[in-house]
Amino acid sequence: MDNLFTALFEIMSFGAIVVLVVLGLGIIASMMGIFNFAQGEFVLLGAYVTYVVHNAGAPVWVGMAVAPFAVGALGFVMERLVVRRFYAAPIVAMLGTYALGLIIREIVRGLIGGLYISVPEPIGGSVNLGTMHFSSWRLVIIVITALVMASSYLLLARTPFGLRIRASLENPSLARASGISTNAIYGATFAFGAALAGLAGALIVPVFSLFADLGLRFLIQGFVAVMVGGVGSFAGPVAGAGVIGTLAAALPWVIPPVIADVLVFVLAIVFIKFRPQGLVSGRGV
Amino acid sequence: MCSDHRKPNRRRFLSNFAFAGTALATGVGSWVIRPDWANAAADPIKVGIATDLTGPIGYAGNADANVAKMVVKEINDAGGLLGRPLELFVEDTASNESVAVGNVRKLIQRDKVDLVVGGVTSSMRNAIKDVIVARGKTLYIYPQLYEGKECTPYLFCTGPTPAQQCDEFIPWLIKNGGKKFALPSANYVWPHTLNVYARKVIEANGGEVIFEEYYPLDQIDFSATVNRIISNKVDVVFNTVIPPGVGPFFKQLYEAGFLKNGGRLACVYYDENTLNINQPAEIEGLASCLDYFKALTPEDPVSAKIQAAYDKQFPGTFLFAAGSAATGTYRGLKLWETAVKEAGKVDRDAVAAALDHAKIAEGPGGPAEMVPGKRHCKMKMYTAVAKGGNYEIIARSNGLVDPKEC
Repeated sequence: MDNLFTALFEIMSFGAIVVLVVLGLGIIASMMGIFNFAQGEFVLLGAYVTYVVHNAGAPVWVGMAVAPFAVGALGFVMERLVVRRFYAAPIVAMLGTYALGLIIREIVRGLIGGLYISVPEPIGGSVNLGTMHFSSWRLVIIVITALVMASSYLLLARTPFGLRIRASLENPSLARASGISTNAIYGATFAFGAALAGLAGALIVPVFSLFADLGLRFLIQGFVAVMVGGVGSFAGPVAGAGVIGTLAAALPWVIPPVIADVLVFVLAIVFIKFRPQGLVSGRGV
Repeated sequence: MCSDHRKPNRRRFLSNFAFAGTALATGVGSWVIRPDWANAAADPIKVGIATDLTGPIGYAGNADANVAKMVVKEINDAGGLLGRPLELFVEDTASNESVAVGNVRKLIQRDKVDLVVGGVTSSMRNAIKDVIVARGKTLYIYPQLYEGKECTPYLFCTGPTPAQQCDEFIPWLIKNGGKKFALPSANYVWPHTLNVYARKVIEANGGEVIFEEYYPLDQIDFSATVNRIISNKVDVVFNTVIPPGVGPFFKQLYEAGFLKNGGRLACVYYDENTLNINQPAEIEGLASCLDYFKALTPEDPVSAKIQAAYDKQFPGTFLFAAGSAATGTYRGLKLWETAVKEAGKVDRDAVAAALDHAKIAEGPGGPAEMVPGKRHCKMKMYTAVAKGGNYEIIARSNGLVDPKEC
């Protein structure tokens, strides 16, 4: 019984982490039609900003609060300078964003000397129930993921801004004709997606420590999640991330980890073969 | 949408291509350090370093290159070798075997070096050894701790082997941890081979292996493993999971109460570089067994001198640490220096014959000597325990430990 609860908690917490990481990726992919290969590096930058702020002597949570804004701002600038030029050619956009990601990753690697650096969590230790131990910080991550998910949904589904985003996605020319600046909307959406990645990085860095390949580690899982979930909606990638994250954490409990690692991808491919449109088909929220 | 005004044209392509071509030809990742005394009658002796200056294990490679620069400068300042200065050629192996082979070929064919020191991972050694030793007819020194079983002629290993890291360490773990071992491991050659040896020593000393399990190299969630360790009441986690997985793994173990319940962490590649992966409390009591720790400097004046010289020349993030092959590089170059002096020439066969029984009285962690006919190195070994984010030496080998290889 104890074992079951521990397993459920651990699986859920890793699922939450994957959802958190995929959220920004999914919003950019679904709302803009751009597969942002630099998303993993936005996660890395969020982690790096947290580390830098903490290293300068401020409490960790300050760094975590600063990270989404810093990374969002950088995302905005990058959209203006680079990504904007690729909207007409999504395939080239993949290469372009991949290059951006590579540049960011190697710069960070240089800055941290290629080392693995620990960043403490603002709330450490574990919550004990009988013989079971639940990591407090993983609990916090689950709660924040739920909050971020809910507020992102509300932002896209219930606010005028969300309406404009969806309008720009569905019919850019009509949106422009109706007086919506699609350029500004794209910039804001990209920045928002980047900010979410920055937040994800800030929250997970105490769990996984800071290293240059932190974002890369989640990139492949993130894309599989978006594919499984379905591009075009908000719910799709989130659902996909939930499934992939849960599977990735659950399988090693029952089968050898080396096989589990591959099996997640095999299952995803089989699933997409039979349901190419993904878990959630259709556009919108 | 606004992509049509930046069409690539032929001229732009050509100019970019020319730039990239120049960068490739001159080699962005290689440099030569010439001796600063030019009065030499004979040509300089050429020392080649092939190590991972960039990529995931760049932190180790840069430290190794720094050590080589330091040793070569020391030798040159003292008048060189056989009256000839040393010239250092550094090539980047970029943590990537296919890039490495090309760059190492440059060392051999273009620069015609007399010796190559380098390689950090075993896969790197296997990729470049043929280029150096068989086709290149050059001497090769591999400086990193590794899984053993490398018995290629003209290839000398100056880092610790499984026997050196386990024979005294595991009995200590059984006495200071317990009899029930878990062997969680990354899925590649070093853990697989090391575990075979470790299991033998554990069982020979009355311990038992509860489980031995392998994980993908990039796995970062270990909840299932941690649960297995806790529910089986394992006493000692003999870890060969590597970064990035090791940080989250130790953290999850800590959060699950493994240390609080008296569990002991052990990890034989843990040095000063890896201490920072976790908060000090998460790895309190972690035991490691290596040929050198910085904590040795108060008790060993030779180590202190080497460490101080390194820190003075290379302050910064690349530490002089045993786990990144820095000590093996130092030892290798010094042993080679002795061998060249004895041979009186740099001819490969003569130097190899002298290196076969070379000895140095002073090195990081103590003296070292090659075991004749084995091409491996006897050295002192130390067991250290992490306390509050630093190591404390708690056991020292009696004299030099035999590598038991080949």
